[in-house]
Amino acid sequence: MADTINQTTRKGFLVDTSRCIGCRSCQVACKQWNKLDADKTANKGTFENPRDLTPALYNRIRFIEKETSGEMTWQFFNERCMHCGDAGCMKVCPSPGALYRTKDGIVAFNKDKCISCKYCVSACPFNIPRYGTDDKVSKCHLCTDRISGGMTPACAKACPTETLKYGKRSDLIAKATAAKKTLYGVDDLLGLGVVYALEGPPEQYGLPAKPGIPMSIFLWKDVIKPLGILGFWGSIGAMLLHYVTIGPKKVDDDLNVKEDGHE
Amino acid sequence: MTNHWIDFKNSDVILIMGANPAENHPVSFRWIMKAKDAGAKVICVDPRFTRSAAKSNLYAPLRSGTDIAFLGGLINYILQNKLYFEQYVRDYTNSAYLVSGDFKLPGELAGLFSGYDPKKRSYDTKSWSFQKNADESIKKDPTMQDPNCVFQLLKKHYGRYTPELVSKTTGTPKEKLLEVYKLYASTGKPDKAGTSLYAMGWTQHTVGTQNIRAMSIIQLLLGNMGVAGGGINALRGESNVQGSTDHGLLFHILPGYMPVPLADLKDTAAYIEKHTPKSKDPQSANWWGNRNKYLVSYMKAIYGAKATKENDFGYAWLPKLDPGMNASWLMIFDNMIKGKFKGFFAWGQNPACSGSNSTKVRNALTKLDWMVTTNLFDNETASFWKGPGMDPASVKTEVFFLPAAASFEKEGSISNSGRWAQWRTAAVKPLGQSKPDAEIIHELFQKLKALYAKEGGALPEQLTNLTWNYGFKRADGTIKSIDIHAVAKEINGYFLEDVEDRPKPLKPGEKAPPPPPPGTPKKMLGKKGELVGGFAQLQADGSTSCGSWIYCQSYNEKGNMMARRGKKDPTGLGMFPEWAWCWPVNRRIIYNRASCDPAGKPYNLKKSVVYWNPAAVQPTGALGAWVGDVPDGPWPPMADEKEGKKPFIMRADGVAAIFGPGLKDGPFPEHYEPVECPVPENFFSKQMSNPASKIFKDANIKEDVLSTCDVRFPLVATTYRVTEHWQTGVMTRNTPWLLELQPRQFCEISVELAKEKNIGNGDLVEVSSARGKIEAVAMVTPRMKPFKIGDMTVHEVGLPWCFGWHTPGVGDAANLLTPTAGDANTMIPETKAFMVGIARKG
Amino acid sequence: MSNYIERFSTSERVLHWIVTASFFTLLLTGLGLYSTLFNGYFSLFGGGRNAILIHKISGVLFFLSSLYMFFNHQKDVTGFDQDDKKWVTERGGYLSRNASHFNIGKYNPGQKLFAIFIAAATLVLGVTGLFIWAPTMFPRWIVQLSLMAHGLMFVCSIMFVVVHVYLATIGNPGTIEAMLYGNVRSLWARKHHPKWYREVTGEKP
Ligand code: HEM
Ligand code: SF4
Ligand code: SF4
Ligand code: SF4
Ligand code: SF4
Repeated sequence: MADTINQTTRKGFLVDTSRCIGCRSCQVACKQWNKLDADKTANKGTFENPRDLTPALYNRIRFIEKETSGEMTWQFFNERCMHCGDAGCMKVCPSPGALYRTKDGIVAFNKDKCISCKYCVSACPFNIPRYGTDDKVSKCHLCTDRISGGMTPACAKACPTETLKYGKRSDLIAKATAAKKTLYGVDDLLGLGVVYALEGPPEQYGLPAKPGIPMSIFLWKDVIKPLGILGFWGSIGAMLLHYVTIGPKKVDDDLNVKEDGHE
Repeated sequence: MTNHWIDFKNSDVILIMGANPAENHPVSFRWIMKAKDAGAKVICVDPRFTRSAAKSNLYAPLRSGTDIAFLGGLINYILQNKLYFEQYVRDYTNSAYLVSGDFKLPGELAGLFSGYDPKKRSYDTKSWSFQKNADESIKKDPTMQDPNCVFQLLKKHYGRYTPELVSKTTGTPKEKLLEVYKLYASTGKPDKAGTSLYAMGWTQHTVGTQNIRAMSIIQLLLGNMGVAGGGINALRGESNVQGSTDHGLLFHILPGYMPVPLADLKDTAAYIEKHTPKSKDPQSANWWGNRNKYLVSYMKAIYGAKATKENDFGYAWLPKLDPGMNASWLMIFDNMIKGKFKGFFAWGQNPACSGSNSTKVRNALTKLDWMVTTNLFDNETASFWKGPGMDPASVKTEVFFLPAAASFEKEGSISNSGRWAQWRTAAVKPLGQSKPDAEIIHELFQKLKALYAKEGGALPEQLTNLTWNYGFKRADGTIKSIDIHAVAKEINGYFLEDVEDRPKPLKPGEKAPPPPPPGTPKKMLGKKGELVGGFAQLQADGSTSCGSWIYCQSYNEKGNMMARRGKKDPTGLGMFPEWAWCWPVNRRIIYNRASCDPAGKPYNLKKSVVYWNPAAVQPTGALGAWVGDVPDGPWPPMADEKEGKKPFIMRADGVAAIFGPGLKDGPFPEHYEPVECPVPENFFSKQMSNPASKIFKDANIKEDVLSTCDVRFPLVATTYRVTEHWQTGVMTRNTPWLLELQPRQFCEISVELAKEKNIGNGDLVEVSSARGKIEAVAMVTPRMKPFKIGDMTVHEVGLPWCFGWHTPGVGDAANLLTPTAGDANTMIPETKAFMVGIARKG
Repeated sequence: MSNYIERFSTSERVLHWIVTASFFTLLLTGLGLYSTLFNGYFSLFGGGRNAILIHKISGVLFFLSSLYMFFNHQKDVTGFDQDDKKWVTERGGYLSRNASHFNIGKYNPGQKLFAIFIAAATLVLGVTGLFIWAPTMFPRWIVQLSLMAHGLMFVCSIMFVVVHVYLATIGNPGTIEAMLYGNVRSLWARKHHPKWYREVTGEKP
């Protein structure tokens, strides 16, 4: 079961990829607001840099360059934590409060509570959380420190084209639906906090077509965990039961052995 | 810009050509996206498939340096298919004017206009003039049928620009070409607007000015000037470059776009005579007729009480150019390398990186005795003496570095491309010893003044007579620190005496109004010491001052208009008349009266910028007024034969110039190849490159080399900026967050070229030209495509120019490769089309 | 005939208790990681970060000692004979109050299976533990599977150990002495491990 989330008041982003110009103000604004260090990068023949999210990079633009029968497309995709309604990272986090759900439905984190188990890294359907040299989890926290003060998240504020729109999730979805956009993440995982308007199939952007918490993570947390607890008490119970019903092997059994030892 | 940034949203078709707003003006894309939301189509024409191209509805590639061919083809398409806005063209342009019978077109003269002198590499423009009637008025043919009329000449000239020939020259596939033409020409309908967004991709060519002229002609043919969502819009590359040109940064203009006086114009009268256009047309407002008021007020602003009627307001002290002298950027370094300068101020600039043919620039700096650099960070210019290839021991130039404050560390105005002067306050204090430029200049001024007082020198008055009432004073009268408001007020101008509001001189036949009853107080324009309300109040008799007439009104008795932050938008067109202030007189769209028919009714009722309301009562009691944006003058529209005026008030004859005899290289744009080009012939004529542009060829200057059709340098190259860095990158390369995004010099090349040269994506390559070589990472991409030019396959490569050796590991400046060659009119260097070779390293 | 015979040498016993100690350390440190329900257990170690550190250390210790223990008595625990079969079919007599007799060697098949299971679990827990240790160095699916397998093995080993502890203590009085003192009473040995008893004593059946 997921933690509780109020679908009607939930806040989130609508990322309209058709508007993105790949200017990466979002990347830099996030670094600036969150006081994150620059990553050392190298040009490997693409504009895309850094090539992956890092402990000091909570959102980034993927440059997707494609030529189909002579027509070029160059798409820009903002990669970030989705603030899943059913968040794999929260499901596995053993340290209460390290990853937590705010009243706005955001999956925020508290480095002080993080115990560096790195489970969230593996449990995230979108491979988002990263570890820093401080060995603590970091990822987009949807600027909880800004939105709690009524401000717009830094990345959305810096976005010149309104690609990143922050607001009440249901409103954003309603508007985008009215504009006949193809949406991604409306219902998956109890709804992603970050809903995308895409111009093509999700796979084109490196998104799973049907995002879900990895099966093994599901088995681990939703099957083995409860069954395990049951099994633990069950085995203790069984032993107790054995002790009181059948009982231990008596020491005087030994004497019996002696008596009819010659067979 | 004739229009402004927000106005892009009103467009029906946006042509991005010679610009890359998604990358270099990202905020502008907010408005482009709004236009798209409303159904507008975006066209991007660029040698590279850029981030702007990625967001456009239609992309067409073209080889760098062939824009006039492309646009000429569009003119031809519009004329052939009669897609022009006929009424607009007839009423508001000089299409009906008859040109001298001696005038000849390049089609008739092997690529040259009539009047060319090959020895001087310039034109005698006598034959480019209009035929005159006996009363000196211009001869016209309203039917536009006369073979000598501008319209017919235009048709004849661009008749040569067939889609086939254009495609052969530009490399743009013919279908794409026609697609672009069709879409853009659709804005010729009266209620449709097309806008043109350009930047250095058009200007930095030997035909730069003519590139923009070509587009102006198109905009006039389609009736796109003066309308919402139209215009010719230069996207300025620096936040305040508009402000700096407004205020006379360039060598040939005084503040407010007044020409710098030439030495042979001995006095104000001679200057005014030369620079004040005259018109016989009673319907022409001929605004430059006010030139004398602006010049005198300017001199009163800078020389104050020292400027008197008796000394011709200090005209003699104004710096002058020798006739024929050119003091542009290229010439500065050309003269510097020839040892003609002792000292040099590199203020807020980094010529060792930004200057085309940077090797020449860097070597020129070694010829100086001293150089002062004012900048935020150390850079390639300040440290040129220890740069690559330099022997510090043998460089004699003494270098001083003055740390400057960044824009957000100081208060003042910034004028954006849309001419909006927006006041900003300082966000933070300057770091360490750095100071706002005004403070540095102030100190410099004080020191120089003291030196002149002590040592004398040639013409000290030029400096010692300057007014300097800019600050908060100490008890002894010396200035403690600069008050930037005082500067802004001086730019706006003051009444230096009480100025009476005199009635306009009577027109012949007009009856004088009855004299006011005795004892009525005089009507005053302003009292001594007050700030001038607007440039219409400026006087030619020395009773007003004004530092830049176009900024008059920006800071008046109503307050600092530039600091306004009103968010009202009465027209819904995004003009926000109460947000900041815009020159001239807060007019958001220039030539807005051309958006209406001659009766003052908007051609596009849905996006009406202004309209004439004949029933409105003016404060003077007169009937009729313009409603909407601040109109280009209060006069009624031109249908009113008595009082009406034509819309293009800055033109002597009140109409826009489709035929533009004022330029050095021809009244119509003609395609010429860049000085360095990949083709052995110009498919349009025998004339290869712009016949009127200066050729730098001095046997003593080894850096001045050009290479056309050289097998070593077979690739067309172009330079550009990227979103992640700004200009030469002095600020952005010192911002690790930005270096993270774009860490080093790269070179974009096509997949085809990479295969040919055995270059892999991400490989290190050496890019070389006749002038130098740089290292870059190869970015092999299908976004670059080879061009088919005639029978040849021509490759183009792209290089950003934001890197330099001073930042470790990023590679050296792309401008080491670019040539010393400039536009015939502005001398802006040709860095957007030149020839290079490429090879894999290691 | 002496009343006592030696069942485990000192080193064998020390080894067993090292395995036991590290197992329970793992158990206690692991509980908090297993579920937030057991979050309180972290406080035993001064917080989750310490718990993880100790879990890693004891994990290495357990892995090495447990595998060493297995190889140490490998030949005693991996061979099954006909007598063992009988034991298995009759469930070792544990399901009946009546006394039962099996001809069993040093270890009964249950013990053997337990030993084998523990060795296998050690291997799985150790290897998956390594993947979980540094998740960013391995493909995500491997780490995800590891997390699942580690949890599964953890649960199973606990259940097995519960049974093991029960049978080694109150379930079979006298057994614990073997691990405490090394010696068992001859009677006990004759009853529970007659074949082994004869082997050590040389007594004929
Ligand atoms: C309080 C906890 C424990 C007690 C009291 C205990 C007791 C014993 C005893 C008495 C024996 C000897 C049985 C015999 O003589 O046949 C034994 C053997 C053994 N123990 Fe434990 N043990 C404990 C925990 C563990 C744990 C946690 C493990 C491993 C994870 C373990 C693994 C083994 C193994 C592999 C043997 C060898 C024989 C067999 O398979 O039963 N023990 N233990
Ligand atoms: S995207 Fe990943 S990190 Fe973000 S909430 Fe979902 S599971 Fe957690
Ligand atoms: S690494 Fe931190 S945030 Fe992630 S699951 Fe572990 S304790 Fe929670
Ligand atoms: S919402 Fe805040 S934390 Fe998240 S990516 Fe944007 S700026 Fe960074
Ligand atoms: S700031 Fe907006 S437009 Fe720019 S890259 Fe980010 S999402 Fe795209």
